[in-house]
Amino acid sequence: MENEFTFALGPLAISASIITTWGIMLVITAIAWLSTRHLAMLPGALQTTVEGIVATIDEAVSAVAPEHGRQIMPFIASLWLFLIIANLLSLIPGLHSPTQDLSVTSALAIVVFFSVHWFGIKTQGLKKYLHHYLKPSPILLPFHIISELTRTLALAIRLFGNMMSLEMAAMLVLLVAGFLAPIPILMLHIIEALVQAYIFGMLALVYVAGAIQSQQLNSPE
Amino acid sequence: MEFNLSTFVLEIINFLILIWILQRLFYKPLLEVIAKRKQFIDQSLSEAKNLKLHAEQQCSLYENRQKLWEQEKQAALNELHRQLEAERRAALDKLNADLEQERQKAKVTLSRQQQELRQQTEKQALQNGAKFAGMLLQQASGPELEARLFSLLLDNLTTLPEACKLCLTTLSTKKSIPIKITSAYPLADEMRGQLEQKLTSLINSPINFQYHQDVALIAGLRMDIGAWVLNANLQHELVGFTEIGYESE
Repeated sequence: MENEFTFALGPLAISASIITTWGIMLVITAIAWLSTRHLAMLPGALQTTVEGIVATIDEAVSAVAPEHGRQIMPFIASLWLFLIIANLLSLIPGLHSPTQDLSVTSALAIVVFFSVHWFGIKTQGLKKYLHHYLKPSPILLPFHIISELTRTLALAIRLFGNMMSLEMAAMLVLLVAGFLAPIPILMLHIIEALVQAYIFGMLALVYVAGAIQSQQLNSPE
Repeated sequence: MEFNLSTFVLEIINFLILIWILQRLFYKPLLEVIAKRKQFIDQSLSEAKNLKLHAEQQCSLYENRQKLWEQEKQAALNELHRQLEAERRAALDKLNADLEQERQKAKVTLSRQQQELRQQTEKQALQNGAKFAGMLLQQASGPELEARLFSLLLDNLTTLPEACKLCLTTLSTKKSIPIKITSAYPLADEMRGQLEQKLTSLINSPINFQYHQDVALIAGLRMDIGAWVLNANLQHELVGFTEIGYESE
């Protein structure tokens, strides 16, 4: 995967992944605007669909973090929606998924990393939140720090590796088998894209929920 | 697979912008409308629940009221039956009483009719008896019987009760006392003399004797002394016999 299309915007180099991300953002924003333009108590087909999606995500988030579900739901839902569309984008000929770019997955992982601490500090306060790194014993502090870093790294590499390898494997199979196996490969791509988006979002949710509820989990009660 | 810092930074910014846009444009209005609908549904459910509760209360109330009405109806029906039974019994008792009264009346009437018939019969029998006895005595009577009845009259005058004697004494205050002597047969002078002597001994005033003959007497005499009538004849006896028969009834 290479950033074939690159131009400079001042000091910033605009890669194809960024442009694709903007496209995805534009599509998502357009769908969001169109679907919420005329919200009614008796919903139409589009409103029912988007309400179903949001309600399902809200229930999933609330199931993991019942007390703070509504607080972290926008972040997790945005991750899921963005990743699903981004992962499935490579099914369209001529387009490449931005999640095949390590910079993009790393950015998302970093956002998750900071979100974990942001929500944890916001919920519990800085002192209490940092105090949970010293539990059950201060000796474990380095391991906590290593765990935080490695899981963020794993988050970025997992998504990047899977999406890139999926496309590469698909290309290799297509090269070997010609036009005999495109449909199963496409189906595999769809499943893999959905699974990876789900895994990334769910891991982010678990990390954030763990940060929010760490005080409760570590407390004797 | 190279890492690009610009892409990394821009991607972070892009994603944060996306979150902000979706939060403003997508999640917030959708969650609000979902919450509003949920609130509306909850409110509807609550109203339905209240309505159901109210309906159940009303149902229970009306069931109780219906039960009370049934009880009242049953009580009224029982009261009506009781009154009807009482009225029927009273009417029956009255009817029985009237019937008994009518029966008693009929019985009394019948008894009276029977008694009257018996009296009539007895009276007729007595009259017939007296008639037959009169006819028999008319055939069997004669001067001898007359003499014997005359003798009996004299004896009776001798042994008059004190009340009769007192009555005769009161007649003595009058100047002249008419005594009507009626006999079935003509009295002989001797007999007239004995009779006048006897009466004179009883009454101290002058006496005007008047003699008559009446065959209806059959045998014997009858003396009319003022309002006092002394009978010693068969007709009087027969009449007396008949009257005794009446009195005995």
